[in-house]
Amino acid sequence: MGSPAATYTGTEVGDKIVVGVADLAVTGDPSTTLVTYALGSCIGVTLYDPIAKVAGMLHFMLPNSKLNADKAKALPAMFADTGVPMLFKAVYELGAEKRRLIVCAVGGAEVLADDGHFKIGSRNRTFLRKIFWKNNILLSGDDTGGSISRTLSLVTADGTVVVRHKGKERVLWPQ
Amino acid sequence: MAAVADILENIDSLPALPTSVMRITAMLSDGTSDLGEIENVARNDEALSMAIMRYGNSALYGRSGKVFNLRESIVRLGGKALLKIVLEQKVAKLFDGAGEAYGLQRGDLWRGAVGGAIAAEEIAKKHRFGEADLCFLCGMLRDVGKLAMESHFGTEYMAQVFARMEPGLTFMECEQSAFGTEHAEVGAELALRWGLPERIADAIRYHHEPPAEDPGHDRLFDIVHAADIICLWAGLAIGSDGLQYKLAPHVRKDLGLDRKEAEAEITTTWGRLRELEEMMGTSPAREARA
Repeated sequence: MGSPAATYTGTEVGDKIVVGVADLAVTGDPSTTLVTYALGSCIGVTLYDPIAKVAGMLHFMLPNSKLNADKAKALPAMFADTGVPMLFKAVYELGAEKRRLIVCAVGGAEVLADDGHFKIGSRNRTFLRKIFWKNNILLSGDDTGGSISRTLSLVTADGTVVVRHKGKERVLWPQ
Repeated sequence: MAAVADILENIDSLPALPTSVMRITAMLSDGTSDLGEIENVARNDEALSMAIMRYGNSALYGRSGKVFNLRESIVRLGGKALLKIVLEQKVAKLFDGAGEAYGLQRGDLWRGAVGGAIAAEEIAKKHRFGEADLCFLCGMLRDVGKLAMESHFGTEYMAQVFARMEPGLTFMECEQSAFGTEHAEVGAELALRWGLPERIADAIRYHHEPPAEDPGHDRLFDIVHAADIICLWAGLAIGSDGLQYKLAPHVRKDLGLDRKEAEAEITTTWGRLRELEEMMGTSPAREARA
């Protein structure tokens, strides 16, 4: 039986692997690009090992799986605390090493005038940073917050991370 | 500035709301459903018949080991479930291929429509609002104005809105500034032209800004509005408009919506949508747009 992450593959669309909401995908195929659309309050996390040429992407929706244990069991990529460890394990299984990983985070936006009542996006950001801090992981690229939607892509051949917003692209990594 | 009437002049390029949906809407409005009439509608529509049988034989409605034909599926599912299936099948055609002007991937606007329907129904049930099925319908139709805006302005639509975007402004305010109207108002007028009841048109009109005070206050509008925000948090149909919307404070208070409950609604809505897509064999993965 494969690892739990093996149940996640994203969806191949042409030369891309599309990562949906509450979804993750890893690949060692240098001819593909991982992409996730419509990051609002959700956060997209990318991992890239430039030596092993292994890439991974997670699109999680909420910070904490304690909210719904059954849902977390069925859909671990929905939550940061279950999805992030799963993403790391999945890239390790393809030969990536933690010390070489380039890690980026994108999304975590907020609806307007939230006034601190919900903070869905900012809680996602805070929770993710805590996970990374506890595990000595530094972010190489961070484009989070605001009230905008973002499309995130990771080019597997060289690890380039691109964020698209309002039809304009910005390279998040390398800077 | 474009008048709503000008925008709706292009209505001929949009699919009409099927007569079957009109009949179903009437059934929803007066709380009745006629299995015979639904069967008649289904028999003339192969895709709809297939969908009803898929539901009828789905684990969502309990396993039995038996394969149910159309008539048996209709009886097994019952009126309310059937109404929803017919709506999903028929209204889906309106949304087919739409959303590009909003930077959405193919199918996303429809996912957002179904997500809104599910969220509105869940909130209504939780708050014992007696018209959960009507909430489902209004949640599904809330963004039909986007179809009309896209049809009229094409891909220039977002460019004009982008030019007026400023921090803190809602997307509706940017639309108003660009066109003198916005998609909720246009959607409501479209619903009226389709002959839908005024209350449904108003639920569409107010899905971003429900009136707080009487006259005008209707819990239906509050629920559809809350469902729209739940969909944004669930990552459904987030286009170039992003999260530039506000949750009305009176809705948050009246529905007692706090973070914990919001997160529960998000996971429930998303989970039900996923179950539905798995059952219908519709992939959430979309054809990439250039």
